[in-house]
Amino acid sequence: MAATGKMRIYRTTIFLLALTPIFLRAQVPTQISPNVAAQIVMVPQPKADTSLLDNVTATSRFDPPIVRPGEKTFYRVTVSATQNSIDWPNEIAAPSKLKFGTAARGQLMQPDGVRFQPLTEFVYEVTSATAGHFTVSNFVVSVGERSVEIPATSVDVTADAATQPTRELTLEVSTTNVFFGQPFRVRVISPATPENQVEALRDVQFNGSGFLLDKLNTRQSIEPIDRNGQLRPAAIYETVATPLATGPLTLSAQAFTASVMSVPISIHAQITISSAPVKNVLLLAEPLKLNVRPLPTAGERAGFTGAIGKFSYDPPQLSTNRLRVGEPTHLKIVFHGDGDLTRLVPPMPPRSRDWQIIADKTPATGFTLIPLTDETHETPSIPFSYFDPQSEKYIDLTIPALPVAVIGEGLPIQLQVFDDENKSAAPLKLSDLATAPGKTIGSLKPTQLHGWFICVQLAPVIALFALWRWDCRRRFLEAHPEIVRRRMARRALRREKFKLKKAAASSDADAFAHHAVAAMQIAVAPNYPANPHALVCADVLAQLDNAEQGGRGGETVRKVFAAADARFALTSQTQASLLALADDAENVLMKLEEKL
Amino acid sequence: MRVLPFIFAIAFWIIDSSQAATNDSFSRGITLSRAGEFPEAAAAFEKSAQAQPASGTLVNLGLAEWQRGHAGAAILAWEQARWIDPFDQRAAQNLKFARAVAQVDEPQLKWFETSSTWLPPNDWVWLAGASLWLAVGALVLPPVFRRRKSSWLQALAAVGLGIFLASLAANFGVVSRTDLGFVLKRNSALILTPTRGGEIISILNVGEPARKIRTHGNYFYIRTASAAGWIDRSAFGLINE
Repeated sequence: MAATGKMRIYRTTIFLLALTPIFLRAQVPTQISPNVAAQIVMVPQPKADTSLLDNVTATSRFDPPIVRPGEKTFYRVTVSATQNSIDWPNEIAAPSKLKFGTAARGQLMQPDGVRFQPLTEFVYEVTSATAGHFTVSNFVVSVGERSVEIPATSVDVTADAATQPTRELTLEVSTTNVFFGQPFRVRVISPATPENQVEALRDVQFNGSGFLLDKLNTRQSIEPIDRNGQLRPAAIYETVATPLATGPLTLSAQAFTASVMSVPISIHAQITISSAPVKNVLLLAEPLKLNVRPLPTAGERAGFTGAIGKFSYDPPQLSTNRLRVGEPTHLKIVFHGDGDLTRLVPPMPPRSRDWQIIADKTPATGFTLIPLTDETHETPSIPFSYFDPQSEKYIDLTIPALPVAVIGEGLPIQLQVFDDENKSAAPLKLSDLATAPGKTIGSLKPTQLHGWFICVQLAPVIALFALWRWDCRRRFLEAHPEIVRRRMARRALRREKFKLKKAAASSDADAFAHHAVAAMQIAVAPNYPANPHALVCADVLAQLDNAEQGGRGGETVRKVFAAADARFALTSQTQASLLALADDAENVLMKLEEKL
Repeated sequence: MRVLPFIFAIAFWIIDSSQAATNDSFSRGITLSRAGEFPEAAAAFEKSAQAQPASGTLVNLGLAEWQRGHAGAAILAWEQARWIDPFDQRAAQNLKFARAVAQVDEPQLKWFETSSTWLPPNDWVWLAGASLWLAVGALVLPPVFRRRKSSWLQALAAVGLGIFLASLAANFGVVSRTDLGFVLKRNSALILTPTRGGEIISILNVGEPARKIRTHGNYFYIRTASAAGWIDRSAFGLINE
């Protein structure tokens, strides 16, 4: 029962613990009311000045208000609000005889005490071919959530009007025929007023797609310029433009007039600076048409990085021309050229197996070179080229290789070694120089890989084969001795026939008879076989056909043998009758030889 | 027949002038080495070795290469000196020293390759040829010349055949060793494919031995003790080239 009571206590405790989430809440951040939150957020910030929106003013005028028919005037509307806040209509309701041309709009911020006040101006180029008094009536535009009325204004077009030069800007470029990517100089000129007052330019804006204008490299100055043969001071705003599209492109400019004292400007002319405040007027320049051609692909050289113009460089200089492997040296290259060199993309470091090449950070144009081997004897040549727009050709301006002496890393020539007991032993070191070339060899390539070695090994094979053939032949001849006899007989017969002819030629009848008999004996000897000297006339005749034995052949044999035997007689035959048998003896020998 | 002496004289003159040029390069190399102008000395010894490979010339070439910092080229030159003359003590001493400095191992040779180092490579092949034909001659010639087969001739044939069979393994070892080579350049890359931008498998030590397996363009496929891959030909020197 006691155990049952304890269990009840445990169960009750667990039950109460299980119910605790119902009665407990998670910790939540302290709730702040929206008003307090707004105060926290807004307190550090200055109070928004909404007075500008409340006091938006608008003015309109024609500049100049009186012009001759066909002359140009500008319809100007100025609103004291930001450009983006104005919902300007696409078309202005105006008399049909007024022709609205080029339109522009611009915005600037005018200092007004501690604040800056926005000012937006809309300008339309207006002309009228007919005389009259024309009024552009008032109209309403939305500025933010307010409606602002643009007041009406009039222009008188009359032939009696005095000629007034319209206030315009002039846009000048260094060239109107350029290549893609070729930087060219742009000048916006604001000439002096007839009173010789010069107004500076601010918020200069170039209009036209396909150009990159350099806003960091600008300059404004007052210089005398030639206008209709007269030198007149003018404010000149200069910058550099780069075409980024090809084809016929249009570039125009607009700018607000400003006090000479309010902008950084260098004055190089005699002018009158008025102390009166200058009214900021948006002026326009006539658009210019430029022809932008693409760069030719033919003839492009290695190392072209887009440089267009005329460039050169001073002789490259190495910080040192004697260095060790892994030791850096600096290659200094100073480029010269027309135009802005800050935009010059330096040559790309080429890949080299012998050098590590690191280009300096732009605008520097040098390289850090690290030799990787001492086998190199010159720095790598760095390909570079530019496009010359005048000659319309790519010009090679590769940085040449410079001679260097690279020394390898030194290696030790002696090494201290220690034995097992960590005691110093005899040091390892290199040997001395060999004073003689020593054992030589024809080639490091082993003999067995040379083709001629196989041929040499064939020689014993051929010799053994020849020896075997010789042995076979020898055994064959041993088994067939008649072949040897006939061969020997033919050889001896040739010799006797030669002697026979010699005897006939020398008319030696005794020798003729002797050699004829000897030849006949030799020719018939293998047929018996017998010793040639043992054969007599009958033996020779027996080897002739029956017809021949009784014919001329047999007769010749008998006569020859008789003549030979006559050597032993008391009276000899006449020489003439024996030598006449030379041809017959020859025929007999031929017939006997055929049977040999 | 009258032309024969003239031909012999020209041949002798060509060989003699070539020998003289080789000796000139060798002497010049020694002079330059003693003057401490090791790059020029290496060039002179290399010229001499190209004209007439000699163990002493290659030992000196290795010394000059070592002094100018080319450990790989030095090890290769000394290995080539031992290839010509396995008993050259200077080459062996220098190789031991160089491997201790460069921390590289000797090439691992198979048993038949080890046996091939007991004699110069060309001696093995001539020994094999001579012993073979001696055995064949001792067996074939007596019957041809009708001499009785004596026991000493048969013993001579047996000895010749035995020497021939024993030298076959060494000859095979010589041919097999022609694929041995050494890394010539420091930090040479072993790459996965024989292309310029091949993925690097490992970096090899200068003087490290390897065995050429095959060739593709300017690359050798080699196997080292720990890896296999492609290496630029200029970074690897074969023992017999």
